[in-house]
Amino acid sequence: MALYAPAQLLSAPIGGAASLSGRRRRRHSAQTRGPKPYPSPTVNARNHETLISFSSVPSSVSAQAGDSKPDPSPPSLETRRAKPRNRKTLISAAAAATAAATGAFFLNLGSPPPPPPPPGGGGGGGGGGGGEGFWSRIFSPLMANARDEEGGSAEWDSHGLPANIVVQLNKLSGLKRYKISEILFFDRRRGSLVAGTEDSFFEMVSLRPNGVYTKAQLQKELETLASCGMFEKVDLEGKTKPDGTLALTVSFTESTWQSADAFRCINVGLMQQTKQMDLDPDMTDREKLEYFRSQERDYRRRIERSRPCLLPVPVQREVMQMLREQGKVSARLLQRIRDRVQKWYHDEGYACAQVVNFGNLNTREVVCEVVEGDITQLVIQFQDKLGNVVEGNTQLPVIRRELPKQLRPGHVFNIEAGKQALRNINSLALFSNIEVNPRPDEKSEGGIIVEIKLKELEQKSAEVSTEWSIVPGRNGRPTLASIQPGGTVSFEHRNIKGLNRSILGSVTSSNLLNPQDDLSFKLDYVHPYLDGVYNPRNRTFRASCFNSRKLSPVFTGGPGVDEVPPVWIDRVGFKTNITESFTRQSKFTYGLVMEEIITRDETSSICTHGSRALPSGGLSMDGPPTTLSGTGTDRMAFAQANITRDNTKFVNGTVVGERDVFQLDQGLGIGSNFPFFNRHQLTLTRFIQLKKVEEGANKPPPPVLVLHGHYGGCVGDLPSYDAFTLGGPYSVRGYNMGELGACRNILELAGELRIPVRNTHVYLFAEHGTDLGSSKDVKGNPTEFFRRAGQGSSYGVGAKLGLVRAEYAVDHNSGTGAVFFRFGERF
Amino acid sequence: MATQAVREWLGIQQFPVATQNKLHEYLGKLKQENVNTLTILVMGKGGVGKSSTVNSIIGERVAAVSAFQSEVLRPVICSRSRAEFTLNIIDTPGIVEGGYVNEQALEVIKRSLLDKTIDILLYVDRLDAYRVDTLDRQVIKAITDTFGKGIWQRGLIVLTHAQLSPPDGLSYEDFFAKRSEALLKYIRLGARIKKQEFQENSIPVVLVENSGRCKTDDNGEKVLPNGIAWLPNLVKTITDVIMNGGKSILVDQKLIDGPNPNDRGKFFIPLILAFQYFFVVKRIQGAIKRDIAKESKPLWELRDMGLANRQF
Repeated sequence: MALYAPAQLLSAPIGGAASLSGRRRRRHSAQTRGPKPYPSPTVNARNHETLISFSSVPSSVSAQAGDSKPDPSPPSLETRRAKPRNRKTLISAAAAATAAATGAFFLNLGSPPPPPPPPGGGGGGGGGGGGEGFWSRIFSPLMANARDEEGGSAEWDSHGLPANIVVQLNKLSGLKRYKISEILFFDRRRGSLVAGTEDSFFEMVSLRPNGVYTKAQLQKELETLASCGMFEKVDLEGKTKPDGTLALTVSFTESTWQSADAFRCINVGLMQQTKQMDLDPDMTDREKLEYFRSQERDYRRRIERSRPCLLPVPVQREVMQMLREQGKVSARLLQRIRDRVQKWYHDEGYACAQVVNFGNLNTREVVCEVVEGDITQLVIQFQDKLGNVVEGNTQLPVIRRELPKQLRPGHVFNIEAGKQALRNINSLALFSNIEVNPRPDEKSEGGIIVEIKLKELEQKSAEVSTEWSIVPGRNGRPTLASIQPGGTVSFEHRNIKGLNRSILGSVTSSNLLNPQDDLSFKLDYVHPYLDGVYNPRNRTFRASCFNSRKLSPVFTGGPGVDEVPPVWIDRVGFKTNITESFTRQSKFTYGLVMEEIITRDETSSICTHGSRALPSGGLSMDGPPTTLSGTGTDRMAFAQANITRDNTKFVNGTVVGERDVFQLDQGLGIGSNFPFFNRHQLTLTRFIQLKKVEEGANKPPPPVLVLHGHYGGCVGDLPSYDAFTLGGPYSVRGYNMGELGACRNILELAGELRIPVRNTHVYLFAEHGTDLGSSKDVKGNPTEFFRRAGQGSSYGVGAKLGLVRAEYAVDHNSGTGAVFFRFGERF
Repeated sequence: MATQAVREWLGIQQFPVATQNKLHEYLGKLKQENVNTLTILVMGKGGVGKSSTVNSIIGERVAAVSAFQSEVLRPVICSRSRAEFTLNIIDTPGIVEGGYVNEQALEVIKRSLLDKTIDILLYVDRLDAYRVDTLDRQVIKAITDTFGKGIWQRGLIVLTHAQLSPPDGLSYEDFFAKRSEALLKYIRLGARIKKQEFQENSIPVVLVENSGRCKTDDNGEKVLPNGIAWLPNLVKTITDVIMNGGKSILVDQKLIDGPNPNDRGKFFIPLILAFQYFFVVKRIQGAIKRDIAKESKPLWELRDMGLANRQF
């Protein structure tokens, strides 16, 4: 995307026969005019009217690698996918855009003759483009440098006069190119020099110290200043310096108006600009009076027709305070007011809002006219890889439903709404590049067209990846035979019918030489918008075939028990479910699962009972049955439901909020031994913020207390692979997976106190897990068979180091502690 | 199980006459109560003298006894009849192995007792063990879990090696009282019997001395240091326990398999499901709705809806 340089655009069309004095009759309004992108009726400031005008469009300048052509591209948001994977880049540009919009303000007067290109200005004046009455110069830092260099290269002429004499502008030679070594501002009213370069006047003068200018240029500058409305009277004087350069003094009298004590801000977006009627110099006084009256009337009507603006009361009061303190309304004050008002808008994300005009001057009430950036149109465009506009495959309602309604026509454009749209569309994972651009509407003044440009990802993709794995053989040394080739074959068909339906399949084996050993496959079909794409209800249908192989933590020994022969749980099955999303995080899922469970021992042969090494060295094979049927193979169908309520959010990078999850597996009596059961789990987690903190980037996160409770229970048939296991990093820390027991009912309680330290946090925790005496209700009592305690507590301290948690946990059963490193979060 | 055919109880004749008379008297009492068969199950940790006690009661060397090694690997039943009265004594292997209760051994015992009725449980331990620990409790618990709590109503505690000189400063009686108190406490805990209930039906503690060097009194009866002839006393206590009531335990298939926890509460599943739907799922759904309503919207969104009231 384009880079937005914080450049200032100074467009200064100069009034035709601007004479410098006596211009002031009655300054009715200080008006602002949209400079370019849309050809607005040019305002001609006649001799008797002086107008102050600011830019009305969210313009910014895109400076692309040395090209200094003004480009009316507005702030834009975009995101791009680096690859057809869900890899996100940052949402960029927002800040830059705002900055640019703030920086770009225009002093503009409409009246023809386009000045000649400045001699020796070498690329200083970019072609204005568009209307006749404009020319513009861009003073990007780049250009300023260029000028500095020029000045240094002795391309200027000495004034040839004695040093230290004051020279009027018209006394300068028209043939010489003067070097201005210094620019001073002299306020005649105050009788003093304006100190500091921060003053708003400096922005208005296009001359820069050490620049080289001709007399004509200086005269143009003077005319510009004289006609911009800021000054009642302005003059340029040169003072010769011994080194042949000139010190330029701008002496001025600031424009002022009657003091005001009221302030009103109106939204003039989408309204016609007031047309200035020519005031005939030959009019009689009566006619003039009539004319002014009618103008006042028109203006009052304009105020009445305008819509209220978003500017809040506190800011308005602040401005009123500024007015009151000042006394007389001066041009500088108006500039400050404009800056304050625009700053509020831009801070709040109204990137397209601009103060366009101050009206009703010389009355008690100052009227600030704002164009807030009303959206007139929303355009969704698809682009191909080369950026050409194409007809997309995705159906538009799919995208529309992701857009916040604040982006629809009739609302004021806010950059946050744009970002939201960007995030939402990005979460569809359908596009490699997303841009949200506000663009000025050429047909309707002050209107904004929101353009959403999307690059679609490939619909179909297939991938093959291979890998080698080296398995330690005997003696822990890898042998040639232990080098295994593995691989994954996957295919994906996305966005079927343009409705974001997708089919995804993958087959993985870690040993291609003998793939039947462990072949994992997955086939998913996702069907969103089950209730129709226009229906706000967001339900997604999913169907998948899966298999998995996991080590069962039920068959794990307690402390001091020799290695327990592992039992692998192989599941193959089919699952369908419907997910209804209430919010981004809260959802309700319900569906059916059909699966076959096979339990295997180390040698991959089916085993029916757990086993335990006897002290005599033998193996007792009469442990708890691994399956419900007792044959090592179970088949069953059951209903599954999960409701998640999650209102957690990030406060300076730390999670705060509540999360409740209820999960239910309801057996239907279908399958081996007609399993009928109700297995339920309720997990409640609270992240309690202990201190109020200011939110914002780089602010420290608050200390947080995490409380966690988990209850699980099962009524009815409970095969051992479905028993709840106690112990492990997600159950009771400080113990191994399943080290505390396998039970029918489970209760886990945990508390963690997180204290922020620098960019991360340290934490203290205490956890307890108990089987509630239900271990004996699991067939074969695996807890007792493997000599486990059935309950346990732990406590400890830890620190978060990036993604890794390092913690020291004391196992309360044995009283010994150990250091653990874990990935991810406990809660 | 190593079953032996019912044989005539010849061993009784080797007892001193006084003992014989007493035994006959007690057995006669039982007969009056229509008890013609008496099955005694002897259990305990390894090496406490279970087999020796069995031998002492029968008066024969029915079970092989060895000082340093467990001889009994499987339960052994020996039956003796005398005067239409049958006495079955089941000797079992110790159920402790490697510091843990050996469920496997317990399982074997349980299965071998299929279709037998147990009238009396003799829980054997040593008098000269000074301490009771969690292992005792686990053993008691394992027995209770196997046969049910009711077996303790027909239970006796037998303390072997009764002929000892107690440690300094304790009289024999005190030592015996202390030891039995400690053991009873662990039995109560292990069997999870309520304190009050336990006091009402206290489990009698009987002393036994199987050693051949046991002192004898004038009648030739083996007596303990407190002067009680222990064998008649044991039989008498057994008789008393039977007279006191309680139920004999019939070991059937159901008892062997244990209660099936998978069947428990199945009936209530529809009710549980309804409860979960209405009181858990619905509540969470309600909470989600409240979350949505309460969600703090960013100011720009509020302003757009005209809700900010121009305050911010």
